Amino acid sequence: MSTAIATKPILDVRNLTKSFVLHNIDGRTVTGLHNVSFTVEPGQHLALAGTSGAGKSTLLRAIYRTYAPSSGEVWFRLSDDSVVNLAQISDPEIVALRGRQIGYVSQFLRAQPRRSVLDLVIRAGVSRGMNVADARELGILSLRRLNIGEQLWDVHTSVLSGGEKQRVNIAAGLISPPRLLLLDEPVSALDPENRESAIQLISELTHQGVAVLAVFHDLDAIARLATQIVVMQKGRIINNGPVDQILPLLHPGDVQP
Amino acid sequence: MSKIVIPDSVLKVSGLGKIYGPITDGAIERTGSHVGTARDYQTGSIVAAWDVNFEVAAGEALGIVGESGSGKSTVLRCIAGDIDSSAGDVRLATFENGESNLLSLDAATRRKMRIDQVSVVYQDPAEGLALGVTAGGNIADPLTAAGWRNFEGIRARARDLLQRTEVPLDRMDDIVRSFSGGMRQRVQIARALANNPRLVLLDEPTTGLDASVAAGVLDLIRGLLEEFELAAIVVSHDFSVIEMLTERCIVMHHGRVVENALTDQLLEDPHHPYSQKLVSAARA
Repeated sequence: MSTAIATKPILDVRNLTKSFVLHNIDGRTVTGLHNVSFTVEPGQHLALAGTSGAGKSTLLRAIYRTYAPSSGEVWFRLSDDSVVNLAQISDPEIVALRGRQIGYVSQFLRAQPRRSVLDLVIRAGVSRGMNVADARELGILSLRRLNIGEQLWDVHTSVLSGGEKQRVNIAAGLISPPRLLLLDEPVSALDPENRESAIQLISELTHQGVAVLAVFHDLDAIARLATQIVVMQKGRIINNGPVDQILPLLHPGDVQP
Repeated sequence: MSKIVIPDSVLKVSGLGKIYGPITDGAIERTGSHVGTARDYQTGSIVAAWDVNFEVAAGEALGIVGESGSGKSTVLRCIAGDIDSSAGDVRLATFENGESNLLSLDAATRRKMRIDQVSVVYQDPAEGLALGVTAGGNIADPLTAAGWRNFEGIRARARDLLQRTEVPLDRMDDIVRSFSGGMRQRVQIARALANNPRLVLLDEPTTGLDASVAAGVLDLIRGLLEEFELAAIVVSHDFSVIEMLTERCIVMHHGRVVENALTDQLLEDPHHPYSQKLVSAARA
């Protein structure tokens, strides 16, 4: 759903390029992103499509600074309406934005082997500035919504199934909605019912005004969640437009992981 | 100017260096990562650490990674005052308002600062604990050094700390030598927290422990760092330890800092040739 009033983008990526210099493999350079430019506005859900190796995950990581951008700008609008270039700000500034203003949910749970499920979700909230009681309340709410039953709350995350881990990951990542949400195949390991709950949750966030940039490996999720689609190929954007324009041009093979 | 609020730093380390042996002109140029050695061939001096700079905020843990002999423990021990530094400036915001260089304090002031504000957890519990003394006695030691005199008060504090670090209370009056490696490390952590330090220095805190025991100790450390909003430095050659405890880290090689990065960035996108080698070796 696109907003009628023109809004200022939350994310404005300009000519983003990422190259990797492999010093120990004859110093060769591999370029993962070439001059990528696009914007994401509040309440927009931009889905990244493209075959394996097109650069979708690389793009998410370069925005989150897990990869250091080689050149270009990544302008991010803060809650006070000022903008900062994520490609340039200091590491402590990135740490301060992560989790609070920029969320990242991937298909993998970043392991904290001896944490219990509820504890992990509560800590995610606390790290975003909530008090423990609020974090607990909201944490329980989102675990319930994602069908993580009470009997699993005090279990260590290491013993969960892949699908359970992924839902705990989503619950922790979304406990307090960030301004920008980066999703890297967050529902890939889920069975149909749980996938449905996760999709519902993500859809609500978009309606609340969160800007979402996501990689999904199936067209159905894209059709249901995306407002815009960016198609990538070999590290470049080859198409960018509203979902109803781009979706008919895509084949299932275009969104392979 | 950016509007992002970042926590003030508690610890500021600038230009820290430690040279063993005579310091001569050109020793710095003749050593380091790019030369491939910390040893100056002209004099035999070892440049164990040089030009080390970083800051750590309250509630933040900074990782220092590198292979054995890279200088990571040297840096920690210089900050702790276990060894004298050859150069540098180390300030703690919570000590004399950050106006004093810890490296140039007289011995008595330095000892007091260390008791009140800085704790070290060593890889080898024998370094941080008196093994022939009881667990309770090991914790009483820093408390009495800080001026505690009431026996019952000291016992109560020791009990509280042992409980927090998950050491069974019925072992409080046993000598530490009778403890397992994991439990010794927990006692060492309890002792390190005795005087509510602002800065905790962890030197390979889980190396040598069984994987499951190490996971428990790591979990404990992580919880305590968060709970007490401690500033911490974690030295480890084990990336899983660094990944679990830190958001930022530095990489040392032959006594120099070769990379300074977000921890996930170091693991996924290391830049320096040595960092790339280190990460790919750890991942293999």
